[in-house]
Amino acid sequence: MSVADVTAVDEVVSNTPTGRTKAIGVIMAVIGVFTIWIFAFGSAASAHSQITFNPINLGTDAPWLVGTLTVASRWTNLVLGFLMVALGVEVFVRRPRRGVMARFGVVAILFFFALLVWIARSPGPAPVPYVNLTALLINASAVTMVLIFGSLSGVMCERSGVVNIAIEGQFIGGAFLGSMIASTTHGFLSFYYAAIVGAVVGGLIGLLLAFLAVRYRSDQIIVGVVLVTMLAGLASYFTSQVFTPFPQFNTGNLAPNVAIPLLDKIPVLGPVLFNETAFFYLAIILVGVVSFALFKTRYGLHVRAVGEHPRAASTVGISVERVRYINVVLGGAIAGIGGVALMATSGQFQPGYTNGYGYIALAAMIFGRWRPSGAVVASIIFGLSVPLAQLLGQYNVPVSIYILNMFPYLITIFVVAGLIGRVRAPAADGIPYKRE
Amino acid sequence: MTDTASTSPPVDAAGESKPGASRLWSWRPSGKSPVVVALLALLLGLAVGAVVIIVTTPAILDAWRSIFHSWGGILHALKVTFDNVGAAYRAIFTGAIVDPQALWHSITTGQGWDNTLTPISETLTYATPLLIASIGVGIAFQTGIFNIGANGQAVLGGIAGGVIGSMLHMPMVFHLPLTMIAGVVGGMVAGAVPGVLKAYTGAHEVITTIMFNYVIYSFLLFVVLSTPFQQPGQQNDVGRMMDSTAQLPPIFGVGSGLRVNYGIFVAAAVVLFAWWFLDRSSMGFDFRVTGANPSAARASGINAKRVIVFVFLISGGLSGLAGMVQVASTTHFIDGTFLIGNAGIGFTAITVALLGRNRPMGIVWSALLFAALGVGGRSMQAATGIPLDLATVIQSVIVLFVATPVLVKEIFRLRDTSASTLELATKGWNS
Amino acid sequence: MRLELRGITKRFGTFTANDQISITVEPGQIHSLLGENGAGKSTLMNVLFGLLTPDEGEILIDGEATKFADSGQAVRRGIGMVHQHFMLVPVFSVAENVVLGFEPTKSLNRVDYKRANEEIRRVSKEFNLEVDPDAIVENLPVGLQQRVEILKALSHDAELLILDEPTAVLTPQEIDALMAIMRSLADAGKSILFITHKLKEVKAVADVITVIRQGKVVGTAQPTDSEAELATMMVGRNVELTVEKSEFTPGEDVFQIRDLVVRDDRGLIAVNKVSLDVRSGEIVALAGVQGNGQTELVEAIVGMRTVESGTITLNGRDVTNESPRKALDNGIGHIPEDRQRDGLVMSMSVADNMVLNTPRRAPFARRGTRNLSAVKENAEQLVQAFDVRTTSVLATADSLSGGNQQKVIVARELSRPLQFLVASQPTRGLDVGSIEYVHRQIVNHRNEGNGALVVSSELDEVLALGDRIAVMFEGRISGIVDPTTSREDIGLLMTGSGAADQ
Repeated sequence: MSVADVTAVDEVVSNTPTGRTKAIGVIMAVIGVFTIWIFAFGSAASAHSQITFNPINLGTDAPWLVGTLTVASRWTNLVLGFLMVALGVEVFVRRPRRGVMARFGVVAILFFFALLVWIARSPGPAPVPYVNLTALLINASAVTMVLIFGSLSGVMCERSGVVNIAIEGQFIGGAFLGSMIASTTHGFLSFYYAAIVGAVVGGLIGLLLAFLAVRYRSDQIIVGVVLVTMLAGLASYFTSQVFTPFPQFNTGNLAPNVAIPLLDKIPVLGPVLFNETAFFYLAIILVGVVSFALFKTRYGLHVRAVGEHPRAASTVGISVERVRYINVVLGGAIAGIGGVALMATSGQFQPGYTNGYGYIALAAMIFGRWRPSGAVVASIIFGLSVPLAQLLGQYNVPVSIYILNMFPYLITIFVVAGLIGRVRAPAADGIPYKRE
Repeated sequence: MTDTASTSPPVDAAGESKPGASRLWSWRPSGKSPVVVALLALLLGLAVGAVVIIVTTPAILDAWRSIFHSWGGILHALKVTFDNVGAAYRAIFTGAIVDPQALWHSITTGQGWDNTLTPISETLTYATPLLIASIGVGIAFQTGIFNIGANGQAVLGGIAGGVIGSMLHMPMVFHLPLTMIAGVVGGMVAGAVPGVLKAYTGAHEVITTIMFNYVIYSFLLFVVLSTPFQQPGQQNDVGRMMDSTAQLPPIFGVGSGLRVNYGIFVAAAVVLFAWWFLDRSSMGFDFRVTGANPSAARASGINAKRVIVFVFLISGGLSGLAGMVQVASTTHFIDGTFLIGNAGIGFTAITVALLGRNRPMGIVWSALLFAALGVGGRSMQAATGIPLDLATVIQSVIVLFVATPVLVKEIFRLRDTSASTLELATKGWNS
Repeated sequence: MRLELRGITKRFGTFTANDQISITVEPGQIHSLLGENGAGKSTLMNVLFGLLTPDEGEILIDGEATKFADSGQAVRRGIGMVHQHFMLVPVFSVAENVVLGFEPTKSLNRVDYKRANEEIRRVSKEFNLEVDPDAIVENLPVGLQQRVEILKALSHDAELLILDEPTAVLTPQEIDALMAIMRSLADAGKSILFITHKLKEVKAVADVITVIRQGKVVGTAQPTDSEAELATMMVGRNVELTVEKSEFTPGEDVFQIRDLVVRDDRGLIAVNKVSLDVRSGEIVALAGVQGNGQTELVEAIVGMRTVESGTITLNGRDVTNESPRKALDNGIGHIPEDRQRDGLVMSMSVADNMVLNTPRRAPFARRGTRNLSAVKENAEQLVQAFDVRTTSVLATADSLSGGNQQKVIVARELSRPLQFLVASQPTRGLDVGSIEYVHRQIVNHRNEGNGALVVSSELDEVLALGDRIAVMFEGRISGIVDPTTSREDIGLLMTGSGAADQ
């Protein structure tokens, strides 16, 4: 019997920071320096910037107008820049374990305002001496709405374990058929019918994806990519065969805005949130419905179980196949409506005008950690980048408009690169389920 | 795993012998052969294409609507259907391969060969850059990497090649190789971004490559509209014409009207390279191990970061070369619509690679097939008015079936239902 | 309930996994199903639990013939299963896992967690299985996770509990606790079917033992039978329960770890200042229940995980934090825990797998080009020498049985010049013949004067192989002892020297 040779015992060593946190801190500080250098010192010392909040499509005599915010360009941006650098330094030095992304979000918001202040500076190259923030937000809301539909679709599918790359294709299908229906039916229900048709189309595409992925266990990413190619081809084909000879099927009607009385009078955000098309309101409602369903109901528990550990779910009698079919079809329907929503706010259907939004929606879903609430935040960020790029072009920023157009896509790449390593997809996501 | 020999009596899924009727048809093709699956997928693709044609040709629809008007109604409707669909597919064949009448004429009179050989020449011309890009995508797939950015990489390669080809001037012996290198480098740069991001941050390449495609498209417009590269005297998005010293000339000379060009030799070299690389080289072995089992690859000493970066460099470089070959051999200049859209070479390359099961020889055949569909589609559009996009649709359907061989086997009731799905590490975002 | 399996037969193609198996389990009885790995126990259980349909035979519950279309039906009929690999969703709470599929609901289809928690507390109390319903399962230690599995089965009002190899992940003390739970459940009238290949446990707790070999029932036995008799029934021949080891003459230190600190995937400390020496000609066996840091330790040694602090020394050279490539080139041999995931590429040939670690080394490659005939020859030699059963070296690895797959890995590692061998759970899932073979190979390696570290959660293996035994608990070495130490004492070390019962 030998004596146990026990080595010295020590306390648990504390968690040391990851390199990623420090890198994020550096990036934040760099953005701050950039702000100071370009935005603050790029403005003449005497320059002023005005930010207005008038929604363009309402009258100018409305009592809720908040007026114009006028600031000294250089000073404001100096302050904003220093705040950013300070936050960046804090993250780098203190390396907090939580809330790093929240701090980064703050920096992003500050940068946003600094940018607006800079482009609206007067004297400066801007065509008008102010920036209309509310108008910008209203434009952003159209894109955001579409991204919300797309990312909700992604969440529904992936929470049950199926990757849906075909969202872009579902947008295309919904937009195409939605346009046909909206152009040929009249009356205030026409977009309602279009939405239903869009949902059906999206659902059918989802059914095809589910069929191939669940029953035949094909690789979901490949199937998704190929489906998009096929649908894009079909859309192009039918455009030449149907829309070109019969333009009455593609008149490009826009859905009307529905104003919510009283609420739309709220300054700044009122017109943005409460004077939108019915599709916008639907998107918001869906966020709530999907969140509730996934996290509070029995159905949602089953879905999440199937997405995390399908075998465990199957041993208690849950049909993995059935859950996946249902979710992928529902997800597809949501994306289909998203396509109709896109058409209803942009006009005529043209091949290619979904612009990769289906893929950006997937990035939004990942950014949002597969939760609808998170996806909404991501959709807002991406949604802002599109009109922002256009705005920068209009305001004669010394960067080519084509470079500016890269903006939304570069932001997506940046977000995905910064986050993906740290987020956990549902454990069984993308892995075909085999019985026995 | 036991193997059902081709000569044993027909059995059903439960392993029991079925008597009677099946003996009549005792030779049934083995479902294990990927060639059989591919051919059947082709058949299914053509069938779906036919349905699409039927549904959108007013003449056919009218004919079917009036089948009850007379006794010959159904026959008439069938005739109209077959005529139209037949005409479309015939146009594809004669446009892509050869027109039998023209061939006969040339054989008997010894003349008009230029005309007769034009379809095949076109198919080969189209196939050349497609093959190069598809090999690149196939190598990536074998490593478990989805390079959906092949199109953007081809565009950037084309831009680089176009710039070097038109803005530098030197004898061909230097200029052409330099232009080709530029194309490769352009593609490598485009591939390096998602590659490095994936290697060092784990960013999933599907999103980064697709997004980067859009970035490159904007860059294309920028280059063609806002830089010295814009063609002098043009206000539109047209780039400069490449010097003749940087072009890949047609093999039979410009006068023959046959566009098949020296790019073919480049493509052949690429295929040889790919075969050697995957089968014989150590790096190729590393790539294949990584694609088959990333965990074991790591455990056996393979440096995952290095592999990822190199895959994107090679795959991107090949796509870039394809873009350059495309420019240098056909249009000799790039414009704002170069390779644009979902039918761009890069996306077709993905479907070609999948159909060819990511192996060099398979890719050669599928590139030829898809090139034929593309070229033939153009003729079909000219002859019958059916849009070219139908070819894209058929290609996609074929690939969907190839990606789901079990489905094809079920449809045709082939024996051997072993799930021989594509050998890719099936995974979601967690790689 | 009274369960009777009559003539159950299940085939997979030409392979018969279960051949006319008949068993009866009475209420209040602990019936043990004893058989080695690959004997067909799991298949039988899957049939019983509704996951597989038998080709022949019937299942009778309380005299009534029953068929299950899926496991949901089996559960509803009162059959509960505690799986070897838990059927728990790691990111869910205990409550969510227990009620999954049988959730109490309130309005709008919402899950009523209040009622769920009450129910859990009730069952917990009744059977003395305390667990916090709100805890997240993946944060619980393995022993507690198993308790959740049991709770889950009991909360579905299971009358028959099947426990499939439940002790693989438990310390000896936890095993005793589990046995006590099994006894009290049986006394309460439940029927227990206890599947295992461990002779000691079977003798400790079973009322009746049915022995299965190669898909057939070979007979029943009593817990009073000797281990040797049971082993013989299980395997069909006389079994060497120990392995021949030559005299222990260790040499210099070949491998040293000092104060090693390594974190796991979640950023928590998994290896907490571990120090260990291995001398040449010595096997150090690292005992301990899985999940106490052994996996992370091995990964750090072979370069697959970053070492946060501390050193690893090989033959006097500091090799801390070198890449897997360097580790392999330095002569570290690795038999991985999960052979299919980390050890082999299943879709590649046996020949390629034989050179997986050294594909660029001459003569297998020269200047970046592989020499395929050299690779093939090498594989043929090794297949001969190490008795790997395969139709050809060009056959893919997935055509081999588990035992032969492990032999490929062993052959690969032991056929190149090694400074040091790390073997992690080297005989997991193997049949007795393969186990004997692998043990012999490792001991030969050691007899030739080389050093080895064998990590195993099987106490028998540790005692058989180790010249010295180190015990790991919660990331620390709780003791280093010699193989004459009693199982109880080692068991105490495995739980941290008398730590309070979890």
